[in-house]
Amino acid sequence: MAAPPYGPDPVPLVVEELSVAYGEHLAVDRLSFSVRPGEIYGLLGSNGAGKSSTIKAIVGLVPPAHGRLRVFGLDPATDGLGTKERLGYVPETSLLYEALTPREFLEFVASVRRLDPGTSSERARNYAAAFRLEGEFEEPIASLSNGTRQKVLIVAALLHQPPLLVLDEPLNSLDPRSVRIMKDLLARYVATSGRGVLFSTHTMEIAQQLCHRVGILDRGVLRAEGTLAALRGRSDAGDATLEEVFLRLTREGEGLDTAVRALEGR
Amino acid sequence: MGWREAWRISSVAFSELSLQAIYAFRQGNLPPAGPPLQMVRRARRRVVQSKVLVAAVLGLLVAGACALLEVSARIVATPFFGVVVPTGVFQMGVLTGLLAIEVAFLWWTGLQVIPTLLASGVLPVLEPLPIDERTLGRVAGLLYLRLFDLPAAMVLVTTPLFVAASLGAAAGLAIVPGAFAAVGFALALALWTGRFFVRRVQGARGGGGRTLVRWAYLVLWVLPAFAMFGLVIAAPGFLAIVGRTLGGGPSLGSDLVLSVFPITLAILPAIAVHGTAAFALDATGRAVLSAAAAVYVVLTAWAVVWLMASVRRTGLAPVLAPADAPPARFVLRPRGPARAVLTKDLRIASRMPGYAFLVIFPILEAVAIGLFTFVTGPGSSAALGLALAAVATAALLATFFGPAFFAIEVIAYAYGRTLPITDRSILTGKVALVAGIYLIAAGVVLGLTLVRVFQPALFVAFVLAEFPAVLAAALLELGLLFRRARARGLPIVNLYSGGWYAAIIAVPGLVVAGGPLVAFRLLGAAAPETALAAMGLFALGELAICAPFALGRRDGRTG
Repeated sequence: MAAPPYGPDPVPLVVEELSVAYGEHLAVDRLSFSVRPGEIYGLLGSNGAGKSSTIKAIVGLVPPAHGRLRVFGLDPATDGLGTKERLGYVPETSLLYEALTPREFLEFVASVRRLDPGTSSERARNYAAAFRLEGEFEEPIASLSNGTRQKVLIVAALLHQPPLLVLDEPLNSLDPRSVRIMKDLLARYVATSGRGVLFSTHTMEIAQQLCHRVGILDRGVLRAEGTLAALRGRSDAGDATLEEVFLRLTREGEGLDTAVRALEGR
Repeated sequence: MGWREAWRISSVAFSELSLQAIYAFRQGNLPPAGPPLQMVRRARRRVVQSKVLVAAVLGLLVAGACALLEVSARIVATPFFGVVVPTGVFQMGVLTGLLAIEVAFLWWTGLQVIPTLLASGVLPVLEPLPIDERTLGRVAGLLYLRLFDLPAAMVLVTTPLFVAASLGAAAGLAIVPGAFAAVGFALALALWTGRFFVRRVQGARGGGGRTLVRWAYLVLWVLPAFAMFGLVIAAPGFLAIVGRTLGGGPSLGSDLVLSVFPITLAILPAIAVHGTAAFALDATGRAVLSAAAAVYVVLTAWAVVWLMASVRRTGLAPVLAPADAPPARFVLRPRGPARAVLTKDLRIASRMPGYAFLVIFPILEAVAIGLFTFVTGPGSSAALGLALAAVATAALLATFFGPAFFAIEVIAYAYGRTLPITDRSILTGKVALVAGIYLIAAGVVLGLTLVRVFQPALFVAFVLAEFPAVLAAALLELGLLFRRARARGLPIVNLYSGGWYAAIIAVPGLVVAGGPLVAFRLLGAAAPETALAAMGLFALGELAICAPFALGRRDGRTG
């Protein structure tokens, strides 16, 4: 089946030479990568590596200091609405409208995205059932746990079935059942032709299971990119896990034993 | 750890509280560009500015009341509702009003601040640290008191000083217990009611009838501010009743009047000047007064002790939803984006009393003034004047609070910016809210006063002639705020912490909303049709200027 025309270009996301700066601090330095149709792309990195800054620039929360972004060929700088219509975003922190209930929040999102009542209600019902949100659907978000808020954000991101999902550490607060559902859901989601997922995490195990390709980000710079097999080849890591490959490529593993021993010696 | 350590810790925590009060990062706002330390300094400065603003209003109220004391002899020459009020009773009445307004104003500002204190998350951060329980309690209490230090100091210092300047040193000393009681009661009431409403209302579930119950609770929340206004409006009637009761000699009624706060403490300066004879107090009356005054002094001390012990508990209490879970409704009813913004704002306001106040207050004030049409003399001209004044008040108040509606956007701002919604839709939704408040208030006044003022055509024409000016004012204010927000981030969190900026933005809005009202007043001598036509044209002209300024700035594609 031919891909639906999501935009002038079939590639969900192209990032070229992107830099993000906060005052003097350069959080992302000339980063380039792309999310291809049908692909889950994992953005990996330690804390402060620049993953969230990259994602914030893509969804329009921080202006790029340099570089180009394209969402299905659209430029967020000149067609912010067009790119936002094609995006579903789950932020790393669940700071939502605390005074709304999940139903009221999803109704607001559905209104802004101009969804019809039948489709949006059915999707909300299905996702709420999958994530076991029924009991909390009419409670104010202020009274919900972090994990439940995260589920609400995931449902909101999926409500309009966007062709590009941008997920910033989306599984952090989820229970094992919901993590499993998310993994299955994302794998099926990109199976629909033309869609893409950008997924940031520092949990290597999840990235290894879920992502088709990964980009390893270290202090704002892309150290390596490719499939797990390609990265193993690049780091001479044989059949090592993604965690070992990551530690080698970022040199984060250096001095690890010394640091642990120093802690034990205290 | 003693008070000194508690003060030191509260100073650090207050910096964080100031930051959250101004920038609301914990509510989902985005950090503005610039060095973090500069942001912290700016937040501290803004909080001080807000405290100065509230303190200045309180100072003006004290000065105004004392100006009335100065000229009391001249004022009492005119009977109040046919009752001759002695000078001492008049002075007692003025001071009663002053203390009541001080309580109401501080209570109201407290209600605005408490949601910010809770949302800041400052107190839970301190809990795991190795600080003993008593010190943690003191830190929380000090943190709360520091939010009100300048306003409270203004009341405690200026009230006795100004009263002393007007009525003498003895009267100044005699009002000291009243000033302390006003501050103590107001801050305790704010915490007590704030805790109740925030937990009860914020935790309420969504859907149908529950929304009505939430709004009913929120009407109660507005009462302190409403009381301020009502007190000023009803002052002559109140003086007449008190004058008649006390003038009738010793009785159970006069004893009861003397035992009611703040009359008990407000009469003390007048007694210091005129003696008990001026109030025809017998031995029982004097005993009742002394006992009541002692009780209020003890209650003030208890309120402060309770307050210091309760802030920490309040700050740590989670928002709880009731246990009875209703069946979930999975029916979403999407609306257009502007209507969605309006609905979202109303839903947020229905669970956040600080915002609900903005919706309810202009309507209630219009209702209060409208009700006064029933106590005007015969004929309908005075009643019509009052009914139109009620509508004008609603227009000005809705306009005055317009900037604060923008503050709702601070909540989850980072998330909201990722949704495909135009500035124009947000602006239209918020202007519709301001316009809706004005029209509801006008409709309620019309319904209330129809019996007294049967000139619906004139009334409706007045409402419609002012309507474009209300739209223009809201567009101007929100347009200004949008420009600033896009350039420098969202600044306003609530009317207290962002009061300074809200007041500055509200001034041009008030000028725009008030312009046609002034035109109507100036042309009042002409035929009403001419005055209304001029008013309507003036308002339409303002709308023609303000609408392109606010709506025409962006093409809407950049989101």
